[in-house]
Amino acid sequence: MKKTIQRRLFTGALVLMTVLGSKPSYAVNYQALVDADVRKFQGYFRKEFPQLKLGQYADGVYALDEDARKQWKEMEEFPPYELDVEAGKALFNKPFANGKSLATCFPDGGAVRGRYPCFDEKHKQVVTLEMAINECRVANGEKPFPGKKGDLAKVSAYMAYISRGQKINVKVNSAAAYKAYMKGKEFFYAKRGQLNMSCSGCHMEYAGRRLRAEIMSPALGHTTHFPVFRSKWGDLGTLHRRYAGCNENIGSKPFEEQSEEYRNLEFFQTVMSNGLNFNGPAARK
Amino acid sequence: MKKVLLLLSMVVLMPSGSVLMADPAATTSPNLIEQAEAARKEADTLGYEWRDTAKLIKSAKEALENGQKEESDKLASQALLQARAATAQAKFMAKNWKMMIPE
Repeated sequence: MKKTIQRRLFTGALVLMTVLGSKPSYAVNYQALVDADVRKFQGYFRKEFPQLKLGQYADGVYALDEDARKQWKEMEEFPPYELDVEAGKALFNKPFANGKSLATCFPDGGAVRGRYPCFDEKHKQVVTLEMAINECRVANGEKPFPGKKGDLAKVSAYMAYISRGQKINVKVNSAAAYKAYMKGKEFFYAKRGQLNMSCSGCHMEYAGRRLRAEIMSPALGHTTHFPVFRSKWGDLGTLHRRYAGCNENIGSKPFEEQSEEYRNLEFFQTVMSNGLNFNGPAARK
Repeated sequence: MKKVLLLLSMVVLMPSGSVLMADPAATTSPNLIEQAEAARKEADTLGYEWRDTAKLIKSAKEALENGQKEESDKLASQALLQARAATAQAKFMAKNWKMMIPE
């Protein structure tokens, strides 16, 4: 009798230890949370612009205004970024001092636009294409390309060009990735600056409406076509250059290019455009 | 609901009330400039610094160096108000940003 009780107690203790020691079965499905956000976000635009198909949002504001679209199409016949793409190709293949090159770092000849931005689980941060380009340079003993334009934008434009048509399918698979995503989401919706405006205020609620002479572009598809050659800039610039310009416009101090804030924002915005195709570089007013 | 939120955020950012008023004890320019700089740093830490605050502080310092105390006070007060409004904005948005998501 005594032995039976002892055996049962031992077995019970073993079962308890196994249950307490095992991982919880209610692990959060972050991708499902994000997918629900994507459906809601894209659904908002479907309701606002029922005449547009999802793929058309990759053309930005030119999907909304026929006159502007005609002008843009003409501009794209002799694209102002053509020479920059050629220069980017040369820079991509130019050997570093150690004999390697950017081509050594990236698979598929550099046609990897569709892989960025992504979340680096090892370093717990969002990695953008521009960041990866500079990481490759630094890893090979070269100085990073400066800033948000110039050579960095040229290489990015070349890599975007040879990646045209790749589908956006950014994954958010971990707690750390979801945290970065949520930070980007907060940045997108929170009002800031002296004008107390947000990304969503202009590019969701005012999308398609005029702000002085300009039509506000829809946020859906914002990240598909960068880097862009903006007529206003007179040269090529990255998405983070555009972010900084927007922040300036609303009276907010811009963040540095490739800052954590802008990388998280790019991560969130690109996730929202899941299902669209990358079609950069592009010309913009 | 959106109108209520808009009103709320405007009230938060209105340059009135004790939160945004310059400290009456800070009557000298160097003191005002120091206060403005401290407030600017707080807003910057929260990631909400406004575009022109640092420029206003710089201009206030230059005016003081040129003996233009009144002008310096005016600029430093503006910077202080901006920085405090930016911090109020940051704190308000940290709590309420999800309510800004359009339906």
